[in-house]
Amino acid sequence: MINFQYLRTTSAKSALSLIAKDQNSKFIAGGTNLIDLMKRGVSSPEKLVDINHVPLKQIEMHKDMIIIGALASNTAVAEHEIIKDHLPLLAMALNAGASAQLRNVATVGGNMMQRTRCGYFYDTEMPCNKRQPGSGCGAVGGFNRMHAIFGTSDKCIAVHPSDMCVALTALDATVVIAGPKGEHKILFKDFHRLAGDTPQLDNNLKADEMIVRLEIPLNSIGRNSHYLKVRDRASYAFALVSVAAGLEIANHIVTDVRLAMGGVAHKPWRLTASEDFLRGKEASLENFEQAAKIAMKDAKSFGENDFKLVMAPNTIIEALTLAKSKI
Amino acid sequence: MQTAILKDQNDRVDGIDKVMGRAKYFAEYNLPGLTYGVLVTSTITKGKISSFDTRAAEKAPGVISVISHLNKPSAPAYEQDGGPAMKIFYTDKIFFNGQPIAIVVANTFERATYAASLVKVGYEKEDFNTDFEKAVSNTKAKKLQGQPDYKRGTENAYKTAEVKIEANYHLPIETHNPMELHGIIADWRPNNQLTVYAKTQGVKATQGAIANVFKIPVENIQVNSEFVGGGFGMALRTWPLEIATVMASKHIARPVKVVITRMQMFTMVGNRPAAIQTIGLGAKKDGTLTGITHRAFGETSAYENFTEGVVNMAKFMYQCDHVNTQYTVVPVDLGVPIWMRGPGEATGAFALESAIDEMAHALDMDPLEFRIKNDPEKDQQRNKPFSDKNIKEAYRVGAEKIGWSERKNKPGSLVNGQWKTGFGVSIGVFNANRGRASLKAILKSDGTLLMQSATSDIGPGTGTGMSLIASRILSIPVEKIKFELGDSSLPPAPSQGGSATLSTVGSAVNDACVSLKSTIAELAANSNMDATANFVDVLKKNNLPSIEVTKQSQAGKERDEYSMYSFSIHFVKVKVHSLTGVVKVDKIVSVGDSGTIVSPKTARSQMVGGAVGGVGMALTEESVIDHRYGRYINNNFADYHVPVNADIPEIEVHFINKPDPYINPMGAKGMGEIALIGFSAAVANAVFNATGKRIRTLPITPDKILTSS
Amino acid sequence: MQPSDKEFNPGDSRRDFLKKSSLITAIALTPAVAVKAAESQADERFAELFEKIPLNITVNNKAFKTSIEPRVTLLDYLREELHLTGTKKGCDHGQCGACTVHIDGERVNSCLSLAVMNEGKKITTIEGLANGEELHPMQAAFIKHDGFQCGYCTPGQIMSAVACVNEGHTGTRAEISEYMSGNICRCGAYPNIVDAIIDVVKGGSKP
Repeated sequence: MINFQYLRTTSAKSALSLIAKDQNSKFIAGGTNLIDLMKRGVSSPEKLVDINHVPLKQIEMHKDMIIIGALASNTAVAEHEIIKDHLPLLAMALNAGASAQLRNVATVGGNMMQRTRCGYFYDTEMPCNKRQPGSGCGAVGGFNRMHAIFGTSDKCIAVHPSDMCVALTALDATVVIAGPKGEHKILFKDFHRLAGDTPQLDNNLKADEMIVRLEIPLNSIGRNSHYLKVRDRASYAFALVSVAAGLEIANHIVTDVRLAMGGVAHKPWRLTASEDFLRGKEASLENFEQAAKIAMKDAKSFGENDFKLVMAPNTIIEALTLAKSKI
Repeated sequence: MQTAILKDQNDRVDGIDKVMGRAKYFAEYNLPGLTYGVLVTSTITKGKISSFDTRAAEKAPGVISVISHLNKPSAPAYEQDGGPAMKIFYTDKIFFNGQPIAIVVANTFERATYAASLVKVGYEKEDFNTDFEKAVSNTKAKKLQGQPDYKRGTENAYKTAEVKIEANYHLPIETHNPMELHGIIADWRPNNQLTVYAKTQGVKATQGAIANVFKIPVENIQVNSEFVGGGFGMALRTWPLEIATVMASKHIARPVKVVITRMQMFTMVGNRPAAIQTIGLGAKKDGTLTGITHRAFGETSAYENFTEGVVNMAKFMYQCDHVNTQYTVVPVDLGVPIWMRGPGEATGAFALESAIDEMAHALDMDPLEFRIKNDPEKDQQRNKPFSDKNIKEAYRVGAEKIGWSERKNKPGSLVNGQWKTGFGVSIGVFNANRGRASLKAILKSDGTLLMQSATSDIGPGTGTGMSLIASRILSIPVEKIKFELGDSSLPPAPSQGGSATLSTVGSAVNDACVSLKSTIAELAANSNMDATANFVDVLKKNNLPSIEVTKQSQAGKERDEYSMYSFSIHFVKVKVHSLTGVVKVDKIVSVGDSGTIVSPKTARSQMVGGAVGGVGMALTEESVIDHRYGRYINNNFADYHVPVNADIPEIEVHFINKPDPYINPMGAKGMGEIALIGFSAAVANAVFNATGKRIRTLPITPDKILTSS
Repeated sequence: MQPSDKEFNPGDSRRDFLKKSSLITAIALTPAVAVKAAESQADERFAELFEKIPLNITVNNKAFKTSIEPRVTLLDYLREELHLTGTKKGCDHGQCGACTVHIDGERVNSCLSLAVMNEGKKITTIEGLANGEELHPMQAAFIKHDGFQCGYCTPGQIMSAVACVNEGHTGTRAEISEYMSGNICRCGAYPNIVDAIIDVVKGGSKP
């Protein structure tokens, strides 16, 4: 990698001004994804702005929401009593990702910003529209076992690799973003993008903005929940398919439900139609199966990931069953 | 170095150095003036280098030199005709994607890495094929005999048997991936003196290989390799990148260190070759095997041939009068493979041991019963008795420990919610050898014993085993014994491979210690001391600071009379999730039948490690290539799945622990290979027992469970 | 630990220097050693002097004051600069755990941490775990339970295991296995590693 310029700052304001000066500059927090990408030559910033000392590590309980600072580490969030008590789904998802070492430094904001694990994206000698727009997609017609089945485009079928983001999508989180003109909010489910014609853009954060915190509404959905991750080994592997499921049940009837999937799309994939179907219905296996079937309505596979058409609905059923068992 | 004292005679003799982080591996020697080399590798799969621009790299900060086919120093062997096709830096030909084509040397690792990214290479591309399965099915593709065809009795007798099965089994490329990255430090000094710090399973082999390329006397070359961070076979040869590093050092007259990347570990230091195998089995209805046919295709490279013992096991492992085998290798445009733990035998055992299970199922027999019924009394291939074989006892012990009695013969019978439980068994077998090795032993009047041999320790615990042999003969505590290895100036020993180190070097240790013991007894007698007198007293009484002996071990006549093998029986209990297809290994019992157990603690660890490797082979490991580009797509530890801690249950290891009366004085046989051979089939058989799904293509990933019928 | 300075921009001078100044102007402003370097080397090589930035770091209770290129990882700094080679490079991409060290008491993959990001931090490596020749209980337990073969992943395993115990993730074998899954062992010593950790938790492995 080139010997980039390294700057350190202690305030969000100065971080934003430092990055605004230079097109080819990036924030670095935990660095667990960025340094990896720099070593592979996928990302070559000329300037890194170290934001680890910006005070954005808070994890707080407010009246109707939980606030998590963008620089709170994945471990700090997963191990926090507030999160364990009120948002075990988030803790489960966090603990399903990476390793203890990586979670210790990886931040919430960095987790949201992590790039796809698609092998074509990582190999600078192969085509990838995400890395190099216009170069083609290696995965379509190539090794696409890990790839998307929802919301794909002919430009890119990569998946977002985060577990945490799947839970946050299900939990109706809101992202607070700071930019040159001050703060604004965006729903978590709208933070990440589909590939469309611009696969180089993973999300809607602009180059001169930074994530400052998350707001997660307090409700019991986050409690009666399960994060089920299916992968090729028992730990330290990216998802083939994952499901975040939360349920509220009264008298055997589903009064509220949240469902989101990982490993199936360019963004965490919320299953709104399945949720709508389940609400007001009996929390039965038959209805879970029907909800899973509804979720698969627009699924499209690419050969090596055909199995996801079976695995995905099965995993939805199992995650709902496991979430139900916790009530 | 070690001042802390081991608490248990069976602990690893180098354990303290390893847990304190002071065991030094090749890359950790800091030579004066050390420079850093980074390899530039080809980005096409086949063709020729047409242009080569190193100007930007040479101008980059800290760069000392860029060495390639354009400016390499002399390597006389490569200037002659013949020899290897891939003469590094002596050819502009590209044989595989990721082939080293230049080395950039700079004063820091970071600068060398950056500068290497600035080298611009132009190519003339040629058509290529990296797809082994495609090459096998292409009738026009080149195919070579890998081993002479074997026939006993009638060919393809299985076809006319009362009960017959025939099936194809597929294994992908597996990559050794020891934790330590490969590389070398080379220090070429004036007058053609060379010192290397290598990652090698054989210091003498490395010394010879380098001497051969550069045509300098072996005495000029000192190879050091005291600690090796795992090898599993990949460090059994000297790779082109090592020669390249020596060239670089020769060129700049400074020491050069190269540590390759994890991605490069997939392309330039070998792999377990992919294989397609067909097994045909025939049996009588009573379960008597009447025919075995084993045909195998193995992957090799287009520029250098590689063969291994894929079909060996079928020839002798079961009592059967009609056996035929065929082994064909098929070249593809990839780096040349190399033996990986259990080598070809592990490949063959997956197919054969799966097929044996399939036949038992076809006969509606308990596979254990079927195996025991066809256990051979003698080696029918060589027409000799086995020197030592206790398979029936091993089956019995393992079956009891795994809880085989809970197993139902009908697949899919043990169901708890979404989880289905199944049991599987298999056998592993590998040649037990005793090679030729020299060892020098020095018994000192300070109460210590020093032993020296140019053998290696890639992890099994060579020094620990040797020290235990010596300790028992000479009644010296292990902490008073030092075993030196990994140094080419020591008495010669073969490379560590093929599970032969304990037998080979251990025999020399035995002979040397027995000799020292009798010398002490003679000295005691001559000086009117008691026959049981302590050797320290005897040496002192005789004014001898030390006595020494050098012994050479070699195979004896026993090989002509007996067939010698190590055996293992693997029992596996799995749980398979019917919705997600996840396979969880719930329990493992491995039983080793490999003669006397010399070093119980390290022997157990070897069996445990083999089982873990077997879980990887069975369930998770596959090196994937995009054949459109000829490039590996999962060439890293995140996407090539070596099992992690959470994949592995408790593992029970049992040993028969009976001496083989013929193999060597200890009665001990190796177990590095048998710990893994056959294991993957035990998992596949357990998965079948749990689900009724017979997966014949490794690895058995969740998608295969969900989509197979 | 907070950095002492509010905003630290050592690279600015270098980048601006390269972009805006001519070599001649710069020489007038730089010390003699730099002038000498500039005379004998190309302009990019002269820039080397400006590529490094200061670093204060404590490793195994020893304070180091140095200057370093920002692209140097903590792992390479430990191994190549300080010659603390106990910390291993197994993948260099955060995928194996061989490079695990403690940063201010927490386990981290040192291959994915830039050395300069650790300004003012306390690093503990495997070399700093024992008390002289007295082994840490985890080191003793690894020997007792043969928690390794080749030994290459071992320092990372031990550093990770010590942290795992400190974190309290040792309730069951399964929990230990899960929280030790960031450390790959190709020799396959996993069950023995779990045994060693359980032994330490129970207080059985005294050095």
